[in-house]
Amino acid sequence: MSDAYIVSAVRTPVARAFKGGFRNVRPDDLLAHALRHAVAEVPGLDPARVEDVIVGCAMPEAEQGMNVARIGALLAGLPDNVPGVTVNRFCSSGLQTIAMAADRIRLGEADVMIAAGTETMTMVPMMGHKVAMNPKVFDDDNVAIAYGMGITAEKVAQQWDVSRADQDQFAYRSHQKAIAAIDGGQFTEIRPYTVTSRVPDPATGQVREIETVIDTDEGPRRDTSAETLGKLRTVFDAKGSVTAATSSQMSDGAGALVLVSERVVKELNLNPLAVFRGFSVAGVPAEVMGIGPIKAIPKVLQQTGIAKDDIDWIELNEAFAAQALAVMRTVELDPDKVNPLGGAIALGHPLGATGAILAAKLVHGLQRREQRYGMVTMCIGTGMGAAGIFERV
Amino acid sequence: MTEHKLLVRRAAVLGSGVMGAQIAAHLTAAGIPVDLYDLPSEDKQRSKIAAGAIQNLTRLKPAPFASKDLAQFITPRNFEDDLEQLGQCDFIIEAIVERMDIKKSLYEKIGPHIHADAFFVTNTSGLSITELAGVVPEALKSRFCGVHFFNPPRYMHLVELIPHPGTDGQVMDLLEDFLTRNLGKGVVRCRDTANFIANRVGVFTMWSTMYHAQRLGLGFDTVDALTGPAIGRPKSATFRLADVVGLDTMANVIRTMDAKLANDPWHFLFQAPEWLGGLIEAGALGQKSGAGVFRKQGKEIKVFDPASGDYRATDYSVRDEVKAILAIRNPGEKLAELAKCEYPETEFLWAIHRDLFHYCAYHLGEIAESAREIDLAMRWGYGWKLGPFEQWQAAGWKAVADLIQADIDAERTGVEAHLPKWVAEVEGAHGPGGSWSAADGAVSARPDLPVYQRQYQPVRLIGEASHDRQTVEETDGIRLWTLHDDVLIASLKTKMGVIDIGAVEGLNAALDRAEADFEGLVLWQPNGPFSAGANLKAAAEAIQRGDYDSVRALVKGFQEVNLRMRYSGIPSVAAVRGLALGGGLELAMHASRRVAHLESYMGLVEAGVGLLPAGGGLATLALQINADVAAGDTWPLLEKRYKQVAMGQVAGSAMEAREMGYLRPEDLIVLHEQELLHAAHGLVRSLSAAGYRPPLAGRTFPAAGDVGVATLKMLLVNMLEGHFISEHDFEIGSRIATVISGGEIDRGTPVNEEWLHHLEREHFLELCAMPKTRERIGHMLKTGKPLRN
Repeated sequence: MSDAYIVSAVRTPVARAFKGGFRNVRPDDLLAHALRHAVAEVPGLDPARVEDVIVGCAMPEAEQGMNVARIGALLAGLPDNVPGVTVNRFCSSGLQTIAMAADRIRLGEADVMIAAGTETMTMVPMMGHKVAMNPKVFDDDNVAIAYGMGITAEKVAQQWDVSRADQDQFAYRSHQKAIAAIDGGQFTEIRPYTVTSRVPDPATGQVREIETVIDTDEGPRRDTSAETLGKLRTVFDAKGSVTAATSSQMSDGAGALVLVSERVVKELNLNPLAVFRGFSVAGVPAEVMGIGPIKAIPKVLQQTGIAKDDIDWIELNEAFAAQALAVMRTVELDPDKVNPLGGAIALGHPLGATGAILAAKLVHGLQRREQRYGMVTMCIGTGMGAAGIFERV
Repeated sequence: MTEHKLLVRRAAVLGSGVMGAQIAAHLTAAGIPVDLYDLPSEDKQRSKIAAGAIQNLTRLKPAPFASKDLAQFITPRNFEDDLEQLGQCDFIIEAIVERMDIKKSLYEKIGPHIHADAFFVTNTSGLSITELAGVVPEALKSRFCGVHFFNPPRYMHLVELIPHPGTDGQVMDLLEDFLTRNLGKGVVRCRDTANFIANRVGVFTMWSTMYHAQRLGLGFDTVDALTGPAIGRPKSATFRLADVVGLDTMANVIRTMDAKLANDPWHFLFQAPEWLGGLIEAGALGQKSGAGVFRKQGKEIKVFDPASGDYRATDYSVRDEVKAILAIRNPGEKLAELAKCEYPETEFLWAIHRDLFHYCAYHLGEIAESAREIDLAMRWGYGWKLGPFEQWQAAGWKAVADLIQADIDAERTGVEAHLPKWVAEVEGAHGPGGSWSAADGAVSARPDLPVYQRQYQPVRLIGEASHDRQTVEETDGIRLWTLHDDVLIASLKTKMGVIDIGAVEGLNAALDRAEADFEGLVLWQPNGPFSAGANLKAAAEAIQRGDYDSVRALVKGFQEVNLRMRYSGIPSVAAVRGLALGGGLELAMHASRRVAHLESYMGLVEAGVGLLPAGGGLATLALQINADVAAGDTWPLLEKRYKQVAMGQVAGSAMEAREMGYLRPEDLIVLHEQELLHAAHGLVRSLSAAGYRPPLAGRTFPAAGDVGVATLKMLLVNMLEGHFISEHDFEIGSRIATVISGGEIDRGTPVNEEWLHHLEREHFLELCAMPKTRERIGHMLKTGKPLRN
């Protein structure tokens, strides 16, 4: 069995949904941008050798519908022979694609694969444009399918006893770490995106083109404090503890990774960033979907035979401070190893793109810090958790 | 310039302070784009000050904008860079700081940029219009005058119109027309005397109230208990009003009065009492600073006590003997009782009324054309039920004059001022021919400007001739009448236009008559709101008895008369103003068209009393959702309409009601309340002229069905889990979801109104049988407020 080597990993900056820099940028364009850079950064790679482009997207409709993977690949200028497939496991979609790409290589079915993710929450809202519940949801014990994610976070906070103050502190820390990382130039996996906007100029009667370079994640707030966060109202439960500030931000962004077989590494004389070691996914009750990683993390550790303490860096998607803390406490994760550059509460969470974005962040980080093992893990709506392990080489 | 009206294509408001900005907002409701000017900013965004004021308008309460969408029609400008733009404005209203020197330099600056036909007016409350006219550039003088709005300008009906000696008479007429027809205001022409009319009388009243309260040792809370609704004035009464106005502003006003009215016999009143200065010094300026005469401490509101110099708990209780006197229905008897001065409270009440009447009579010739202007100004600018002369006249003109004269003779009034002679010479201030003009020594008729021909049934003052209404038929529940033509007007006789069995019978009678003998039907309430909804009390009694059959019959009867009106061969127009809630709104929704006053507040609020709209309201919404989303996904609109009903939302204006679908695109909105009948009557005529055809009865449309119900319930589940709604809210919400979706049937199944009416009835009755719904109804009847159980 060949190992699956990650030889390039890039992402766009993550912009705030609705008012951010990508508010008029389509998800297929964001994807094409990430794909172009990912391929170009593998020296000597003939793009025609890409066996498949697997793209994660959590709400694959409208601007990101119609098999956005294939459209993005074509827009990126990949040759016609390179196919594309869109996969959806909500918030883990972008990690799922890495696992699927790695599987093809490990089985010997492919030599070069691309795993990616893209999502615009500006253009396609949570739950999509058309919501249509199954009436059976209300007939039996499946009512939690109808729960908003915020309600599930409240239930986690309650059942795992995560206090409001702890959530506020956690959110504050996320912003602090993210700001330090930005200031320290630690997001080396970002490939800036130039947005061209066209606006009418009534004075000249011309259309004016304005170019803006987006090169930094927009979410982190320098002006926030734990005290300010403590004053915010809860948004999902009048008697609850979860606020907008202790929830992940809605965002737009994309990420992409090129995975190759050992043969290609040798043939092209590549310097891989990491090897993909393993992946697990597990189900939990839908009403506490946030605890998904509690099941997924031990599972992937057992599968790969890697000890928890040997993991140096954990990218735990901060869907909510409540679930992140519940997971960290239950699985006993070392807080110093979790999200050293901040998490989704500060940096944003473009649903289906997040897995690819976190993986890109992680493999570059392991290189910089010369650490060995890293993990990407997240909870998933309707009650699942996923985890993947990467090893620097 | 046309002969009869001022066509304003674009307006400018100079000064983006609290009044200027709000006037700009109201102009947009009248369909006029506005340039809002203020000083330039050092910032890169030069008109930042005006832009900030526009932003602030969207947050202000009560809302200055009739619709949030209107903010985009105000353009921020500044006095440095944008003067050229002024040339495009037909109506320019200056509302900058009240300083003669600053106004003068502004007038000089803008003068050359104002176009030759534009109207240039000032919104001042304190400065003399004649003095201001002295600094207006010559070319603008004849088109300059004072236009005094009251705060908040969208909601206060009064606008005082004040000429200077050089103002062109036609300009005044055109402005009066414009302010009335286009902005919906009640115009009172004033003379250029200090504080004009409303504030002259209003501020005098406040000061005389404070004086007598202090003299008789009454607490501020007691004074407010006595000078609010108890005597036909707003709840803000005296001291709460002072807090709202601002104690510093009050002190300024009194300084102006002191300076300008040196010869006023009541001049001794125009001195700020010591406690007022003390509060201002302590920064307690009223509402804007969080404390004034009243201060909120936690949940408790405390009142300032000048004796101790500190705040204490409020006590609004009034002794029973005084209460009994205030409860006397006959105004003459009541005033006579008060005049006996048996208690400090009655002495106080008599004194403030006596002084008010005395003051108004004494100054009438100087400050107003006639008694009408004073009475209308106090009704429209201060929210009094009756103006001072009306109160006097209602209590018996001669008798009250004698009481006042007795006090003058006994030197109890504290002033050297006699009742003017004319008081003894007239039977009252108002009569069938008009109102007394002390200046002319004759009766002055109502103005006959063309704009007033549009007010078929204007506000009548006590003593004026009553309206000419030709009654066609009268039942227990309804009055059917005409304006001597072929349009039948139906007015419910119930209080607040509530709908009960008699009203339903009356509406059937109206349709019988209209279909037989008239071109069409107008639903119009002469006094008060269109309809506050179904008669809850009658329904509650039937429910209590377990008499569900009669509840069912009432609901069915109401549905049937609504359908009958919708599909009748004659056009019907609901003329809506004020409240149109619950069943009242459902009634309006079934007319062929609606004409609504801007200040109409519509909503299907049944959920608040544990019920759901069952007069065809939900069926109508379902029908309209399908009509409005002819192709595509109905979900977004279904969700929006559903939330409106499930949360019992009430539109904050007729424009919002249109956004909520309660008014349809073809319905009309009028700015002047008194033009409502004119517009509705005219619309019936034009519908009839166009060969009116009702909508086709029996239309089928695809139901949202079980998937619709489930998707709406998803919203409810999250609100329930999030403790935003109660179990009973969930129950009611689920049923509203079921009805509006056409029931738990296959999605897309064709349904019609008949099926939805059946669902409305069944779910309404099932809710009626639930104890929590009964609790809600009981609570509403008892307290007037919804219960969230």
